[in-house]
Amino acid sequence: MSAAVKTEQEIESGRQRLRLWVTSGPGLVWIMLFLLLPSAVLLGIAFFSADDYGSPVLPLSVQPFQQVAGYSLLGWDPGNIIIVLRSLEQAGIATLVSALLSYPLVFFILSRPASIRPLLLLFIVLPSWTNQVVRTYAWMELLGPAAPVSWVAHILHAVPPDLGLAPGRFAVTTGLAYNYLPYMIVPLYASAEKLDWTLVEAGRDLYAAGLRLFWHTVFPQTLPGLLSGIIFVAIPAFGDYVVPQLLGGDKALMIGSLIANQFTETPDWPYGAALTIIMLVFTGLGLVGFRVLTRKLGGAEEATI
Amino acid sequence: MIPRGVRYALSGISWPVYALLYTPLALVAYYSFSPAPNQTGHSLYAYGQLMHDAAVFTALRRSLILALGSAATSTALGTLLGYGLCRFRARNATGVLANIPSLIIYTPIIMPSLVFGISELIFFNFVHSATGFLGAGLQTMIIAHITFQVPYVALTVYARLAGLDPYLFDAAQDLYADGIKSFLYLIIPVVQPAIIGGFLLGITLSIDDFTISFFTAGPGSVTLPIYIYSAIARKGITPEVNAIGTLMIGTIVVLALVHFFITRHRERAGQFAARGNIA
Repeated sequence: MSAAVKTEQEIESGRQRLRLWVTSGPGLVWIMLFLLLPSAVLLGIAFFSADDYGSPVLPLSVQPFQQVAGYSLLGWDPGNIIIVLRSLEQAGIATLVSALLSYPLVFFILSRPASIRPLLLLFIVLPSWTNQVVRTYAWMELLGPAAPVSWVAHILHAVPPDLGLAPGRFAVTTGLAYNYLPYMIVPLYASAEKLDWTLVEAGRDLYAAGLRLFWHTVFPQTLPGLLSGIIFVAIPAFGDYVVPQLLGGDKALMIGSLIANQFTETPDWPYGAALTIIMLVFTGLGLVGFRVLTRKLGGAEEATI
Repeated sequence: MIPRGVRYALSGISWPVYALLYTPLALVAYYSFSPAPNQTGHSLYAYGQLMHDAAVFTALRRSLILALGSAATSTALGTLLGYGLCRFRARNATGVLANIPSLIIYTPIIMPSLVFGISELIFFNFVHSATGFLGAGLQTMIIAHITFQVPYVALTVYARLAGLDPYLFDAAQDLYADGIKSFLYLIIPVVQPAIIGGFLLGITLSIDDFTISFFTAGPGSVTLPIYIYSAIARKGITPEVNAIGTLMIGTIVVLALVHFFITRHRERAGQFAARGNIA
C-alpha cells in the first residue's frame, strides 16, 4: 500500500521535473549557449598569447595580466591604474549625484495625489527608453562649445574659451548620472511607497525634526531601495561604453573604452580579455559587498525568483 | 504627512530636475529644424534630406526587423521560462542546484553590456571561422538581443503568476484540464497582460541598446543607432542626425504615453466592473 503511494508520488514528481525542463529548458539553454559559454571563452582568452594581429595563440601566458598591471617592453606605466581609478571615481560621483537627486524626487512624487503619481514616475523613466546614443549626443550638444551652458562656464572661467564642457570629465559624470538616474529612482520609490509613516510621527512626537527626523525614521526604511539603486547605477556606469566614448575625449577615458579598443582599433584580444576580467572582478566585489551590507542592515527583501 | 515647507522645497528641487531631464532631448529637436546651408531661420530642410537618404531607410528597416524579431522570440522563450519556474520548480528545493536557474536568469541583467557584446563578438567569430555559420550580421544581432531580453520577459511573467491564487491551478485540474489545456485556456489568458508587457519591454530594450548591437553587427547590418554613431564619428552632429534623433525620441514618447493611458483606462474599467459586481 505505502509502496504504491510512493511510486505514484515518484511518477508525479518525475512528471513535474519533465514539465520544468520542457518549459524552462529552452530559455535557460539559450542563455547558457549564447551568453555563459561566450563569456567563458572570453575569460579563457585572457590566458593566451597574442599573435601579430592580436588574435589569441598558444602558448598560454600571463603576459596579458602584466600588460593590465602596466608592464610592457617600455617598462612600467601607471596609465591603466589611473583609468581604473578614474572609472571608479566617475561612476561613484554619478551614483552619488543620482542618489542625492532621487530622494527629493521620490518624496515629491509621493506628496502628489495618488492618481498622478504613475504619470510623474513615467516622465522620469521615459528619457531612458530613447536610444542611448541619441540621449548621449543630446548632451554633447547641450554641453558643447556653442551651447549657452558653456558660455556660462566661460564667464565663470571654469573652462578655457572656445572649449565646451564636453568633451571632458564633467560631461562624462553628467551623462552617466542622466543615463542611470531612473535606475536609482524606481527601486527607491518602491521602498518609499511602503514607508511606515507612524514611525515618522513617533519621531516628531519625540521632538525630532528636519534632517535628524529624516535620518532616524525615513532613511533606515528606504535603505533597501537605496542599496539596490546604488547597484543598478554603479555597475553599469562603471562599465559604460557610449558615454565616455562620446562625452569623454582622451582625458576622461574609462575602462570600457580601453577594453573596446583592444577589440576594434588596435586588436589585442588576450589583453582585452584580461582587462575584462579586472572589470568583472570589480563588478563582482561591488555586488558581493552590497549584498553583505544589505543583509547586515536587515533589508533583505529582494530576490523575486 | 510631509510638512508644507518641505513640500515646497521638494517641488522646488523636482520641477527643475524634470526640466533638466528633457532639456537635452528638446535641444535635439530644436537643432533638427535648422535651416538649409546659407539661410537663416527654421526649416524642415534636414527632414527633407532624410527622405532622400536610402541608407537611413535601410537602417530603419533593419532596426525594426531586429526589434520585432528578437522581441517575438524572447517573448515565447521568456513566457515558457517564467511559467516553468513558477509552476514546476519544487518550492522547498534547497542546495546549490536549486539556485542555478535564478543565477542563469540574472546573468544577462547583471553583466555589463560591453562584456556581453564582446563575448558575443568573440564567440560568433570562432563559430563562424570553425563552421561557416553565424557570420556577423543581422542574424547574430537578433540572437544577442534575444539573449538579453529573455530574462526580463521571464521575470515579468513570473511576477504575474506568483501574484495569482494558487487554487486557480487546482481548480483547472479538478475540471480535467491537462497540462497543455490549462496552459492554453488558463495560463495564457491570465498572463496575457504580462506577455504583452514583456513583448513591449523587449522592443524597448532592443531600441535602447547600442553597445551589444555595435559589437555583434557586421558590415552589412547597420541599424539606426549604429548609423547615427558612425555619422557622428565621421562628421559630427549634423542636422540630419538631429532629425533622426527627434523622430526616434518622438516615436518612443508617443508609444509610451499611448500604452500608459490604454493600460490605465483598462485598469479603471476593470475596477469599475469589479465594484459593479459587488453592488
